[in-house]
Amino acid sequence: MEIGPYIKLHRIKQEMTQAELAEGIVSFAYLSKIENQKTEASPDVISLLCTRLGIQLDNEKDITIKEKCQEWFGQLFEVNSKEEIKKNYKELEELLENNHSESLVMFEIHKIRYFLVLGEKEEALKQINNLAEISSTFDSLHQFYWYKFKGNYSSIDGEFNQAMKMYKLAEDKLNQLDLAEEEIADLHYTIAVTHSKLRNTLEAIEYADKSIDIYRKQYNFMRCAQCHIILGISYRRIKMYEKAIKNHNLAKHLGKLNKNKQTIQLANQNLGYLHSARGDAKEAIHYYVEVVNDPEIDLNAKLTAVTSLIKEYYSIYNFNKTKEMIEKGFELLDDYNTSESYKIHYYVINTYNYAIKEEKDKFESLVIDEFIPYLKKHKDYANIVVYANMLGNHFEKISRYKDSVKYYKLANLTYEELISL
Amino acid sequence: MKKLVATFVLGTVLVAGLLFSQDQPTDTASELEPSIFSISNTSSFF
Repeated sequence: MEIGPYIKLHRIKQEMTQAELAEGIVSFAYLSKIENQKTEASPDVISLLCTRLGIQLDNEKDITIKEKCQEWFGQLFEVNSKEEIKKNYKELEELLENNHSESLVMFEIHKIRYFLVLGEKEEALKQINNLAEISSTFDSLHQFYWYKFKGNYSSIDGEFNQAMKMYKLAEDKLNQLDLAEEEIADLHYTIAVTHSKLRNTLEAIEYADKSIDIYRKQYNFMRCAQCHIILGISYRRIKMYEKAIKNHNLAKHLGKLNKNKQTIQLANQNLGYLHSARGDAKEAIHYYVEVVNDPEIDLNAKLTAVTSLIKEYYSIYNFNKTKEMIEKGFELLDDYNTSESYKIHYYVINTYNYAIKEEKDKFESLVIDEFIPYLKKHKDYANIVVYANMLGNHFEKISRYKDSVKYYKLANLTYEELISL
Repeated sequence: MKKLVATFVLGTVLVAGLLFSQDQPTDTASELEPSIFSISNTSSFF
């Protein structure tokens, strides 16, 4: 990175105005020219500005910083201890605060990914906004990561169309860069997941195939497993069930080899859904039960399987088992039921609880006043279809045909919207 | 008239066939894609 944008970045980081930094060294207008690379300042001026910003100009140290940065960037792409990532981040932050380094901009861009890996979405957004001001000075490599990580932010935020736009901009940069194969595979894998979220099934298959080829060569089995799950979901959507099952089983096999319970149970959850979508409740239940009975998986995964079982048992009129699962769901929710991450499970469990107990008023009030508005807010069209249909069916049974038509109509309109996506 | 009825029937069959061949809406709370990040053994896959 040129020295001008580098000074600008440090000045912004320290919340200094141009006037404050320039005072007694150069004019405010001249500093602006330096920062925007419209003039080349003398080494003395650069040295004075860096001193005021508290930066040392030491080339040897820069090499050490560069190596440490590369190591830390790598940690953000593989499974690593969060504590280790945090420790290295703090060390680098300190080094970069006091030394001029070519790696500063790359470090600042990778901070977006760092915050996302740690689950600190707000911090990631703050970092995106901080960097937006200097993004016009980025070279092609900077731009590649800038677009990719902005895409990562949108993915985590559930804005998959925006995420795809960013990933495509990053992909456009590939032919100008000589990136390592795993970098290309990671981008293609991310694009495959995003196409799958957007229900672009054929594109999801294309990109998952591209990335799995590289991961196979590199013996990156866990990433291979993640690709197999995308392929499993995609083949189910185009009704190639045998191929879908084969891919989920391959993911499970790789999960077992690596003793990765999360992957095994993710494959089981999707196998359960595959059989449920085919109308084979018995097989669906078999897979969901495997997920529920695994003591090592996290709460969210368990709740997903429990709510899937509630729906499955309810669909085959096994109301005793439905009640059992509802109770299990409430037990799991316990103190977490107000948390946003578990909100969908909270609504599903309560909806079926009121439905099975035939508490009509509570059922109607929950689904109409809370659940459907929640789904609309989250653009969860698929679930709007499911629960609007459930309401239509409910009103039809109690002969409230006007209300029944209203919700069947909502289900139909939402279904059309879903298809047009 | 027969032609009109035949056209209408054929149109209906085609639309119905098209709708049938469309993918069914997915229960997004049950079918789950893996994370865009690497999956660890302990962290969530959401």
